[in-house]
Amino acid sequence: MLFSRISRIQRTGINGCRWFLFHRPDHHHQFFRSENPLPPTESAQKVLGCRETFSRDLPALHGFSHDIHHQSSSIVEEQQDPFSLVADELSLLANRLRSMVVAEVPKLASAAEYLFKMGAEGKRFRPTVLLLMATALNVSVPKPYLSGPGDVLTKELRARQQSIAEITEMIHVASLLHDDVLDDADTRRGIGSLNFVMGNKLAVLAGDFLLSRACVALASLKNTEVVSLLAKVVEHLVTGETMQMTTTSQQRFCSMEYYMQKTYYKTASLISNSCKAIALLAGQTAEVAMLAYEYGRNLGLAFQLIDDILDFTGTSASLGKGSLSDIRHGIITAPMLFAMEEFPQLRAVVDQGFDDPANVDLALEYLGKSGGIQRARELATKHANLAVAAIDSLPDSDDEEVRKSRRALVDLTQRVITRTK
Amino acid sequence: MLFSRISRIPRTAINGRRWFLSLWPEHHPQLRRSENPCFPNGSSFKVLAGSEKSYWGFPALHGFRHKIHHQSSSIVEEQQDPFSLVADELSLLANRLRLMVVAEVPKLASAAEYFFKMGVDGKRFRPTVLLLMATALNVSIPEPYPSGYGDASDELRARQQCIAEITEMIHVASLLHDDVLDDADTRRGIGSLNFVMGNKIAVLAGDFLLSRACVALASLKNTEVVSLLAKVVEHLVTGETMQMSATSEQRCSMEYYMQKTYYKTASLISNSCKAIALLAGQTAEVAMLAYEYGRNLGLAYQLIDDVLDFTGTSASLGKGSLSDIRHGIITAPILFAMEEFPQLRAVVDQGLDNPANVDLALEYLGKSRGIQRARELATKHANLAAAAIHSLPENDNEEVRKSRRALLDLTRRVITRTK
Repeated sequence: MLFSRISRIQRTGINGCRWFLFHRPDHHHQFFRSENPLPPTESAQKVLGCRETFSRDLPALHGFSHDIHHQSSSIVEEQQDPFSLVADELSLLANRLRSMVVAEVPKLASAAEYLFKMGAEGKRFRPTVLLLMATALNVSVPKPYLSGPGDVLTKELRARQQSIAEITEMIHVASLLHDDVLDDADTRRGIGSLNFVMGNKLAVLAGDFLLSRACVALASLKNTEVVSLLAKVVEHLVTGETMQMTTTSQQRFCSMEYYMQKTYYKTASLISNSCKAIALLAGQTAEVAMLAYEYGRNLGLAFQLIDDILDFTGTSASLGKGSLSDIRHGIITAPMLFAMEEFPQLRAVVDQGFDDPANVDLALEYLGKSGGIQRARELATKHANLAVAAIDSLPDSDDEEVRKSRRALVDLTQRVITRTK
Repeated sequence: MLFSRISRIPRTAINGRRWFLSLWPEHHPQLRRSENPCFPNGSSFKVLAGSEKSYWGFPALHGFRHKIHHQSSSIVEEQQDPFSLVADELSLLANRLRLMVVAEVPKLASAAEYFFKMGVDGKRFRPTVLLLMATALNVSIPEPYPSGYGDASDELRARQQCIAEITEMIHVASLLHDDVLDDADTRRGIGSLNFVMGNKIAVLAGDFLLSRACVALASLKNTEVVSLLAKVVEHLVTGETMQMSATSEQRCSMEYYMQKTYYKTASLISNSCKAIALLAGQTAEVAMLAYEYGRNLGLAYQLIDDVLDFTGTSASLGKGSLSDIRHGIITAPILFAMEEFPQLRAVVDQGLDNPANVDLALEYLGKSRGIQRARELATKHANLAAAAIHSLPENDNEEVRKSRRALLDLTRRVITRTK
């Protein structure tokens, strides 16, 4: 797992330089988990490069924890792209997941393309948060010249935390695959094509495959509290999806409270509980674990609220330029719910359903007149601030990497609010 | 947990009598336990008063353990219906299971509950085996008089019941998904959930059950057991994948078929038997014997299932539902027949959507010894299961011996059943 470090060593570009963990052949085995089908040389090739001279002078470069402590007094605290902080580690995770799926069940590879697609689009948001959180909660930072138990323990911990990130992705993708399973009516209505039906089956099987892998990976962590946490997440995902399915047919559930609960289940639970799992694996106290949980929860909620807005506004600030996919699927989100509080008549429009594009236009009109978008944004900001507060409440740490990761986590909350796509 | 005891006290019917533990609440703290490790909110015990007279004479009746030790010299060793040995315990499990799958969203709740409703439980084969195994492996029998042991053994029993509940949840979750994969219309004599409520809710309900099973598993705080049952989940998926993605070569291989059958059918029961043993603190050897029992029993069960799909309740061919072959699933009898008649292979490769091909295949099967060889293989596995029980360390306790006899009896019933 490679972290791109920029603080000490000049970097050509975000991913220009990588740390070289392979100079020390005795560390190789720690770099790859034994189940990793990737041959060590593949990543090694990507890794060896320009900075060999530097690493030779630093005999105790640890792979996963970035404790290159120069005796230099100038500490450059650059504001980095949080994603770049973990980019290399993420690639490795992605490769591991991909190879696992392809190697085990080639037939499911096409269904598992989701993995890659989502990864590219979503900037692998969840694993990024988790890896940053892992560093941010780093309890014991091994000294640069320490070798022995401290080393191994740190790497072991890091590997376990990466496992959480992988498990989280597996659960996330599995839920996406299962959410896409269509109901009988849709598949049978005149669409004889096998693809449609096969698509369903592949989706179910691929999702099951990922879930079962997640279960095994979870079990191998030998931490029953973490197993509970992430099992609860699966339950929440299912509950959230079912709540959403129920909402479309029963409009009486069209309340902000129901919506926030559903959003917690569908979006925030996964990230919040896996942040908490990261903390638990690191042996943190219950208070710190709760702070990690709160960060994840509020970040997730903020993310979803902005997502809702963007579905209406798209990249422009104005209404109706977004994809409008939520409303067209009859999914009533925060902006619309706020608007309904201002304009009860809008409720009647919503109840009629949105198969009719005229209704969509009418609803958008009300939305535009209301403060719905602004209120949703305000709520998102509130949650983003709560997330920041959680990070700020973490016990102080002098370690530069820890502080950097925490800054990155704070930065993420900002990006979540200000993003335009 | 009420066990129906028939050895000492006359019983009106299988569920006719129940023990009255509430008469001695101060002696039976375990009855007032609200802590079910799987479901901490507890479930209410339905304890009825009945034949109190006979009860008074036994001051230390424990609820879950059936240790009525008469000083009588006549010990009646009746051959009991193995299912009846655990019938009451099973009812309690069934109720708890229903409570465990309660969901916040009504639609999800009714979906999850679907197969735990009364009447569609099947014979609860798996939980029966597991509960019998739990007694059969009973390491320490608490003294009849409360001395503190009672609590520990009840705690163990509750945990082992939890395994049985978890096993059922995993099993039903896999059924729900399999029905979606197979486009099944019915299951256990009623409409399949996907048929009744739609594919998506069936898939979600399966996921929900799986997650509940994982939470219950975690609550046992035994990481080896968690690993075992997580592996089972993986095996179920692998077995299903093997079935769906088999090449024509693989479909016709007995080895592939046995491997797939292990994954799809035997892994669950074998690994949960092993989990029962591990929870009881048994040695690795005993745990392996429990595993072997489950594995061989499961394989025997499936092989006979395959045979019955052809023969039904009659001994002759073609009276069964033939659902396997019609779905293009090649099972042991056909595989054996193919060894005798290579031409059958060509018929199978052509595809069994065509009813004429089905008839042709049945013809070959009838001419071959396919059915008999499948039965022989089933018997071999049943005998291996029996051998595993016989290899268990000796035990004088009557309940233990009774349960072991019941487990042996099950291996016979699995072979001789006609439906």
